[in-house]
Amino acid sequence: MRNHYIFSVVVAAVALPLVIFAQSAPHPGPAKIRGGAPPDFSGVWFIDEYRRSILPKEEPPFQPWAEALFKQRQLESANRTPDSGPDPTERCIPPGIPRTMFQPFPWEIVQARDRVIMIFEYQSLLRQIFTDGRGHPQDLEPTYMGNSIGKFEGETFIIDTIGFNDKTWLDPMGHPHSDALHVIERMRRVDHDTLVDEYTIDDPKAYTKSWTAQRTFKLKPDWQIKEYVCAENNNVK
Amino acid sequence: MKSKLAIAFALIAAGLAASGPLLAHHSSSAYDMDHPVNMKGVVTNMEWSNPHVFIYLDVKDDAGNVEQWRVEGNSPNMLVRSGWKKEMIKTGDPLLVNGALAKNGSKVMRLITLTLANGQKYDGQGFK
Repeated sequence: MRNHYIFSVVVAAVALPLVIFAQSAPHPGPAKIRGGAPPDFSGVWFIDEYRRSILPKEEPPFQPWAEALFKQRQLESANRTPDSGPDPTERCIPPGIPRTMFQPFPWEIVQARDRVIMIFEYQSLLRQIFTDGRGHPQDLEPTYMGNSIGKFEGETFIIDTIGFNDKTWLDPMGHPHSDALHVIERMRRVDHDTLVDEYTIDDPKAYTKSWTAQRTFKLKPDWQIKEYVCAENNNVK
Repeated sequence: MKSKLAIAFALIAAGLAASGPLLAHHSSSAYDMDHPVNMKGVVTNMEWSNPHVFIYLDVKDDAGNVEQWRVEGNSPNMLVRSGWKKEMIKTGDPLLVNGALAKNGSKVMRLITLTLANGQKYDGQGFK
């Protein structure tokens, strides 16, 4: 049954571009007739409206230590100089998830048979979201980008990510997280040029309850991901 | 000097500030984003580098003394996407820059808009 499903998906994935080509459609977009294939999110995407805070209008429900750390980071940021600040990304530390997606640099989605791959220009980071039905490994070593698995539900791509270290900030403001961070994303291509990702931040060590942020990304059909070498780092001398 | 320069180019500054892009990469908290100013200077060096392109300018103050300023744009990749070319800025070129000054008083500007001697304008962050 499962093999049959995979076969159908592969056939559809191969056939779809041919159908689109035959129809000479200028923008394939989220095709309505896909024969059960998952929606196509492939392309280069770029943050639509950059904001420094992950939640622009309110603060998330901090645990006391997380609020104290957040305030300390804000104070350090306010007193910073152009060449020395507390944000880990300034020392080329990866921004983690979800912040890597919010950076003012493009990233590309490549959809493979068993995974969705995100190639980030910023720091040349890579994210693999396995879609072949596997679960998270039992013995996860904590990492900056975490371990991601995903599944398509209709037009929505649901991504589940755990296995983080606690060395990153959720945003440039310094909202903290712990190694218990669990990020659940619901990604939808609301029109041909627009991708919306909803992020549920579930981190009981740092926040009293889970909360949700959202970002919109725009398709950049003329862009391609370029080299970005953070180690040049001319801000730090 | 800041205020004099701001006054000298007040009209241009108003126009540029009104159309200014979001200035908000990781280190933007070091700059006074609410009060962008204009400066005229002569290029002494440029670092086409990550995370930010640095343009070094000699800027004359009102007494005729030359001050050395560092003007920061976004990364080379983003600037190229908004029309920049590395070769368009050469040592000795006069430039008009509009941007936010460092809060700590160091002679560093976060670039919003660059104007070449030929009048061509470029977005300093490449977000557009």
